[in-house]
Amino acid sequence: MQAWIEFGRGPLFRLAFCLMVLGLLRVVVLTIVGIAEAYRRNSDRIVPWKAIARQTLGWLVPVRRLLGGRPVYSVTSFLFHVGLLAVPLFLAAHVRLWRGAVGFAWPALPQRPADYFTLLAIAAGAGLICGRVFHRGARALSRLQDYIWPPLLLAPFVTGYVCAHAALGPKVYQEMMLVHIYAADLIMLTIPFTKIAHCVLAPFSQAVTAVAWKFVPGAGQEVAATLGYAGLPIWVANSRSAPAAGDKKEALVK
Amino acid sequence: MQPLTEEERKRAFAATRKPEAIRKQRLPVRYHVEDFEVADRPRRFLEAFAAILKHTNYRLALDHYMRVTAKCSRCSVKCQVYVATGDTNDIPCHRSELLLSVYRRHFTVSGVLRGRILGDPGLTDERIQEMADSFYNCTACRRCHFECPMGIDHALITHLGRYILSEIGIVPRALAVSVREQLTGATGNTSAVPVAALKDGLEFLSEEMQEDKGIDIPFPIDQDGAEYLFLPAVSDFLMEGETLMGNAAVFRATGDKWTIGTGYFDGINYGLFYSDHILEQVLQKIRAEAERLQVSKILIGECGHASRSAKFFYPTFCGGKEALPVVNIMEYTHRAWKEGRLKLKPDAISETVTYHDPCNLARSGWVVEQPRELLKAFCTNYVEMTPNRQDNICCGGGGGTVSMDELRPYRTLVGGRMKADQIRATGAKYCVAPCANCKKQLRELVEEHAIDCQIVGLHDLLYKAIIFDSSVPGE
Repeated sequence: MQAWIEFGRGPLFRLAFCLMVLGLLRVVVLTIVGIAEAYRRNSDRIVPWKAIARQTLGWLVPVRRLLGGRPVYSVTSFLFHVGLLAVPLFLAAHVRLWRGAVGFAWPALPQRPADYFTLLAIAAGAGLICGRVFHRGARALSRLQDYIWPPLLLAPFVTGYVCAHAALGPKVYQEMMLVHIYAADLIMLTIPFTKIAHCVLAPFSQAVTAVAWKFVPGAGQEVAATLGYAGLPIWVANSRSAPAAGDKKEALVK
Repeated sequence: MQPLTEEERKRAFAATRKPEAIRKQRLPVRYHVEDFEVADRPRRFLEAFAAILKHTNYRLALDHYMRVTAKCSRCSVKCQVYVATGDTNDIPCHRSELLLSVYRRHFTVSGVLRGRILGDPGLTDERIQEMADSFYNCTACRRCHFECPMGIDHALITHLGRYILSEIGIVPRALAVSVREQLTGATGNTSAVPVAALKDGLEFLSEEMQEDKGIDIPFPIDQDGAEYLFLPAVSDFLMEGETLMGNAAVFRATGDKWTIGTGYFDGINYGLFYSDHILEQVLQKIRAEAERLQVSKILIGECGHASRSAKFFYPTFCGGKEALPVVNIMEYTHRAWKEGRLKLKPDAISETVTYHDPCNLARSGWVVEQPRELLKAFCTNYVEMTPNRQDNICCGGGGGTVSMDELRPYRTLVGGRMKADQIRATGAKYCVAPCANCKKQLRELVEEHAIDCQIVGLHDLLYKAIIFDSSVPGE
């Protein structure tokens, strides 16, 4: 079992971490290129960057926004995120691992606050699951990944806390550590392909929306031409039973 | 808010169309639709979707929203439609998912692969029916956008969904007929008002004002080189004479040059509700008239969607940063009052007055404080409704639905349900709603809910407060 643990926190960790970074980098680059492209296609170049920045910051530090819709769920979610970021990054044991691996690291949290953050994340995570299961609207919207993510994210917290505090036999300790490490690896491997990609994409949302509302001049006409009714009013085009002779449509749909 | 009773639910969702029409068009929606090609609908929908994706910026938003959507259901709390119906299909995030899932399945590599492997047939006719119904249940008020921690703008998705549907012929008849008259009809406006009738009507209003105020308050027509080209919702010329009188009186007091153009005098732009193509064509009509009359600014009357479509899309389609500035009439009046060019009697209105923020003016933070400051300047008893400003609640007739008379029970019982409670709670005698859409909807709403409140425009009241003294230019 020790070999599995070493594999999980050695090569597999490095692979998962690299894939996570590359995967997130990919979606960030795609988003930035998309924003730039949309900005270029639009002719007016009037984008309310200040308002976008204000709204983006407002959501990154959502102090005033938490008490809007679903306040309990929102505050819980905020606390969950605090624990979620604080513990994996600043736990003394993790910081030591980083220092060992790359030669440098950052200041660690003292043990007691780290414990509190861990318990906070676990309690808030459990709250989030309840907030999803017992809320009619959220239940109706939820996909499979929405139910899988909170327990998956909590697995390393629970196992980590137990390992640090309970008097376990060596075998149970190793099993716990195994779950701890492999859950973390799995999280990192899947982040870029799931909704957790919002960890890097959310700051772009306001800009994406603002630019997407910038319509492209002449696009309506181009769409009409592509659909084979250029120059005809749409209601004439739609009343035709079949495309008129000479209409050519491009094959766009796979 | 009282939940819908069984009887109300029945009325709100009662069939409005003949079963034959539904069968023939294979479209069980509650709004009327002109006949269109029914065969092979999913393929045509996808072709239209593909063409739109190819030539526009929507792909960016779809990709992004698809990646970040967290399904937290915060938007459900803010949606006045969902709060009234309790139907989870009305949750904004669910509505967006209808289209996002089609996008994911047909226009992303992973979706296409997954579809092939799992043998998923893809878009079905039923899904198109569902979208046609759902996208017009939404009033496009954008309140949910401000609630979404992921920054998803469900109104953008609704707009895109309606755009695609319109390209395959699914457009509410009320909107299609108006737009047809506006773009290709003899009168060139959505209410089919002939120029002769326009002139007669304005002359009549001038005579009224002459009697009322004892001075000549004209409606300048086709004045070359005027500063402002005035475009109210054309329905104002038919139904909101008092608002127009207030508009004219303000200009009489300030002395600025403005004009109504007989070549084009309609601010309404239903393109904002369902088609970028129509949006652009209507704005080009405004541009042509502005160029014909050599004006330097475009002034939109008391109308939310007309103001937003011009303010935010005129630069997009008509010249970018060099485009003529677009001003809303309340902005104009407010500035004139601030500059001391407009004097108001401080106690002109003593009854309780409240203000309804039209979504298309307030949500972006554009026209929020100006009307309030004006109202407080001549109303002694001004009260706010809650919530207000950028977080206001939609009148329930937004997104073009107010023009569909067949939806009236739905609009008053479902869409406007929260608004009715809000207005009643203020106890106001006057509710100022500076938007042609909101006015019509709110009047029907107070009638349905037996609320003793009169719905008026801002300039209707302001007209009573304007002081014309010897310093008035031209006196």
